[in-house]
Amino acid sequence: MMETLRTFAPLAWRNLWRNPRRTLITLIVVSVGLWSILFFNSFMNAWMQASKVATLDLLIGRGQIHATGYLDDPSIDTLMPPPDGALEAALNAPEITNWTTRLQLPGVVLSEYKTLPVTIMGVDPMAERVVSTLPGKVVEGRYLRDAADDGVILGLNLAERLKTGLGRRVILMSQSIDGSLAERSFNVVGLFDADKPTEDFFAFTGRETAQAFVGLNREIAQIVFDVPDTTDLDGVVASLQLAAPELDVRSWRELSLFLATNEKFMGGFIFVWLGVVFSLMAIGIINTQLMAVFERMQEFGLLRALGMKPRLVLLMVTLESAMLIGIGVALGAVLAAATIWSFADGVDLSAFAEALEMFQGGQVLYPEYHPGAFAFFAAIIWALGSLVALWPARRASKSSPVEAMRRAT
Amino acid sequence: MENIVTCRELTKTFGKGELAVQALRDVDLDVLPGDFATLAGPSGSGKTTLLNMIGALDQPTGGSVVIDGAALSGLSNAALSELRLSKIGFVFQSFNLIPVFSAQENIEFILELQGRDRSERRDLARQALDNVGLAGMEHRRPSALSGGQQQRVAVARALISKPAIVLADEPTANLDSRTAADLMALMYRLNQEHGITFVIGTHDPRVMKHTKRHIELLDGRIKSDTRQ
Repeated sequence: MMETLRTFAPLAWRNLWRNPRRTLITLIVVSVGLWSILFFNSFMNAWMQASKVATLDLLIGRGQIHATGYLDDPSIDTLMPPPDGALEAALNAPEITNWTTRLQLPGVVLSEYKTLPVTIMGVDPMAERVVSTLPGKVVEGRYLRDAADDGVILGLNLAERLKTGLGRRVILMSQSIDGSLAERSFNVVGLFDADKPTEDFFAFTGRETAQAFVGLNREIAQIVFDVPDTTDLDGVVASLQLAAPELDVRSWRELSLFLATNEKFMGGFIFVWLGVVFSLMAIGIINTQLMAVFERMQEFGLLRALGMKPRLVLLMVTLESAMLIGIGVALGAVLAAATIWSFADGVDLSAFAEALEMFQGGQVLYPEYHPGAFAFFAAIIWALGSLVALWPARRASKSSPVEAMRRAT
Repeated sequence: MENIVTCRELTKTFGKGELAVQALRDVDLDVLPGDFATLAGPSGSGKTTLLNMIGALDQPTGGSVVIDGAALSGLSNAALSELRLSKIGFVFQSFNLIPVFSAQENIEFILELQGRDRSERRDLARQALDNVGLAGMEHRRPSALSGGQQQRVAVARALISKPAIVLADEPTANLDSRTAADLMALMYRLNQEHGITFVIGTHDPRVMKHTKRHIELLDGRIKSDTRQ
């Protein structure tokens, strides 16, 4: 077999260049097709990653812990004590980079002009600075100083809707622990610029201030934790759940269904794209290979006349196609790697910032080179391309030696 | 002496019904080892059809063909390929060399199909080219050879597998008179020195001048079969 391949490989290579234009067309079709798949995959991954990081780093974190039932009924009645003992030890494990506690209360915010629903978020500003990107998004005034800070931070859009602003006072209202209505005036000390949902529905104050506001002692609504992307998140969730079996530990995939679905959708979408591109490529490959075969039917008949078995004709033509598609695949991979490398400093999409906000993505995307994806898609394209080229090869193997003799004489 | 080719009551009909054309009608033919024969006749006489039958390229409608002891009837495509590879050499009117191969590679290719090893292939191919007067032209591609030289390569290719018979269909049709004469002289020498059996389909009197046996076909039948 190897000896046969050694004979047919140079023959296949030379045959490829009998019609350089057609060979180049096929090479362009295959290489551009693979390039588009690889670059698109990398771009979509970068987008997904940017969107994920932007969303998770803002408030969600990589996972959260709540009292059982809180996510179904996020009220003051389903809170939990701050972590201690086994849970605190588990949260301080090396695989968890940072964590913090929050009190989250449903409420309303009143200005002189308007009353709007809001989620009151009591935070520990020191810990929040390493868990969340929100402190860095304060564009007017300041962020909270400590857990006892009694100022309030509002989103720009919420402040605009309330017709309030920095240095002015708003009233926050929520249900207190005894069931009565708690209300209190807060000084607006900072305004943040984030995505519209966050700007509209959150008001931040110090955790201890929020606890005192509704008559709580130390109870909290959530623990937010971060792990590096390379860490086995499910493993961390399991270990935390083990440490606090009475609590509800969830990863971001369960907390942000939009993001999780988006991630799955992107993964599926690249295969849809693969299907579309490959269908177009297959038409091109079959077309050019059929032309190449029909032009050489007399030659194939001659080879049959000289004693070449049909399966060897099939092998020879398939080898030509496999070689051609292989070169196209290699070119496409190099082209994609070069394109990704050229965007190492990021793809600046700030011109589409407003549109991108909908997807909660960053404005600069960083496509990355993923060797696994390169190998996978290159192998798929090569194998499928060679497979569809079997049809022209089969036609060649069925060439008639009598026809060859007739045409040759 | 056992026949190289034995045809008995050979018939070949193309098409069906009223459109049927009977290309061969009850042809009986024996080709003996060492024959140097022409198969002549006007267009439509059936000589190409008969060459195709003898060359195991086509199956007869009726009758039998036996080549070097092997009956063709009932053989699969792969078995017919094997038979052609081992027992039959072909020389075509338009040379039909593989254009992307050099002269030597065109010859080696047949040996490769036979499964010979590389060094043996190279030695035998060079020897074959030397035998047809093309020493030193091993690495030239067909496009760099004259018509006569290409046909010599084709002859060397046909002979390389030491076939029982070489079938040549109008081998001189694309050659000028001098080159055609040289080619016929070459084939005659190979016949004389090595005892190679040739059957040459032609209607060129210059070819018939060189051969020792003339088989003439007319309307699918052997009209005459004479030896000199």
